[in-house]
Amino acid sequence: MKYDVVIIGSGLGGLACGSLLAEAGLRVCILERSNQLGGCLQSYRREGLDYDTGLHYVGGLDEGGSLHEAFRRLHLLELPWQRMDGCFDHVLLGDRHYALAQGFDRFTATLSRDFPHQQEQLQRFADRIHRASMEDMEVSAWDYLHECFQDEELIQVLGATAMRVGLHRESLPLFCLAHALSSYIESSWRLRGSGNQIVERLARTIREGGGELRCRHEVTGLRIADGRVEAVACSNGATIEAENIICDAHPELLARLLEGQPVRRSYLQRIRSGENTFGIFTLSLRLCPGVIPYFNHNAYVFRRGSDVWQPEECGEEATAVMLSCRVPEDDSPFARQVDLLSPMSWSTCQPWEATTVGHRGPDYEHLCHTRSESCLHLAERYLPGLSAAVERSYTSSPLTYRDYLAAPQGSAFGLRKDWRRPLQTFLSVRTPLPNLFLTGQSLVLPGIEGTTQTALQTCSAILGETNNNKIQQ
Amino acid sequence: MTRNEIMEQVNELLANEFEVEVSEITPESNIKETLSLDSLSLVDMIALVQVNYKVNIPASDLPKIQTFNDLYDYIESHLPA
Repeated sequence: MKYDVVIIGSGLGGLACGSLLAEAGLRVCILERSNQLGGCLQSYRREGLDYDTGLHYVGGLDEGGSLHEAFRRLHLLELPWQRMDGCFDHVLLGDRHYALAQGFDRFTATLSRDFPHQQEQLQRFADRIHRASMEDMEVSAWDYLHECFQDEELIQVLGATAMRVGLHRESLPLFCLAHALSSYIESSWRLRGSGNQIVERLARTIREGGGELRCRHEVTGLRIADGRVEAVACSNGATIEAENIICDAHPELLARLLEGQPVRRSYLQRIRSGENTFGIFTLSLRLCPGVIPYFNHNAYVFRRGSDVWQPEECGEEATAVMLSCRVPEDDSPFARQVDLLSPMSWSTCQPWEATTVGHRGPDYEHLCHTRSESCLHLAERYLPGLSAAVERSYTSSPLTYRDYLAAPQGSAFGLRKDWRRPLQTFLSVRTPLPNLFLTGQSLVLPGIEGTTQTALQTCSAILGETNNNKIQQ
Repeated sequence: MTRNEIMEQVNELLANEFEVEVSEITPESNIKETLSLDSLSLVDMIALVQVNYKVNIPASDLPKIQTFNDLYDYIESHLPA
């Protein structure tokens, strides 16, 4: 049995490619190393409730929005999306409270109330991020903000929510900041129910198109002959032949698979030389019923005196925390689940590098406990009484990400992009081997939007320009 | 590093990486044609120069670099002190 396309990895990128290609009539096989599909989209169940790992909110689903057309093609608009509040993100810097609003005009008007002396500049900024182009890959977000604005506080506010794209002051290209903001300003949405619905919907299209999804199939080798990949070998002994291969795993894994193979060393060097974005420490809270009202927006809370643009550098203590509330599925006006997410650097986790889930020892428990306490402490500033409402809590760290998702250094947003080296850090969906392709959040942009748009590019490359109409339809 | 050293090293580096004979590389020959570079391998070449000489070539400067001479010039004038 030879497939048209074998896809390594079942994250959003792999599943989106699988869905589009299966619908275009190709015979698709997805290989997932773990026993659960979905990568960052997977959720887990504890005592009757589902907890999401990577999915919290999505931007640009409105008609004409940046993700609308892609999600329509993927049949994901059918899912129960819930529009967030007009002010979808709240930012707390010390005791000062700011809000980001949906709609570019309202976004500008809302921030202009807090920064009236920067109103014109805010309008220019909104216009620029709305129209971000490839050239902005070579522009520093930090430098651009300083050219645009005089008010340091406003620059902090505009960087605050960019922790969701792996914010890094020195390297973040304006292109990434613009995309991180603009799709959410277009429109912001939460999914009612778990992120698994996305996984299931995409998997359904793949199966309906005659495709296969195989868990516990870890790809450990590529068979290459005459400059093409002929087959992939799995750790369970299976060898699967294909016309085309898509790698949805982190590029570092691909570099390992290509080591010693007849592929230009400079290519391997390039994809291996990338630096990873930081990881995320998550404290998932199950709350006592009827205590904390549901809030239909997010809050980003920063420690007093901390720098928004250096969110992960604080060891055991959290510098920043994002509060995300799960939509109550029973229509209750009260929240049952709140996630607290805080950036965590790999250096904080490194002492436990050699350990695996459940066997990390008391020092790690202590780290998680300290970090949880400091996350709760920060979150209390936005939601007083939150700690007292906690019934149960679960933690995950970059180590958890690394072990479950094979994410090197537990990176939450893949390889970091750098405006100083855009050609090297933005990766193409093509590789030196003509039938081997890449997809996933490490290539161009992280998150749901970046991964979905990249999947469309990967599929276009496989189907070729002439066949592109098949997916367009 | 002298101009001659740069030329010699760059030629050897690129010939080795892109599998051509060093003798095929002449200062006035076109880089893309000589090394059969497509857009992807062009980026690998830039990365190679970056790693070996700490010289970063932004996309906006690429059109200026057509021949090997252009590349030697670029490296020579941008080498970190």
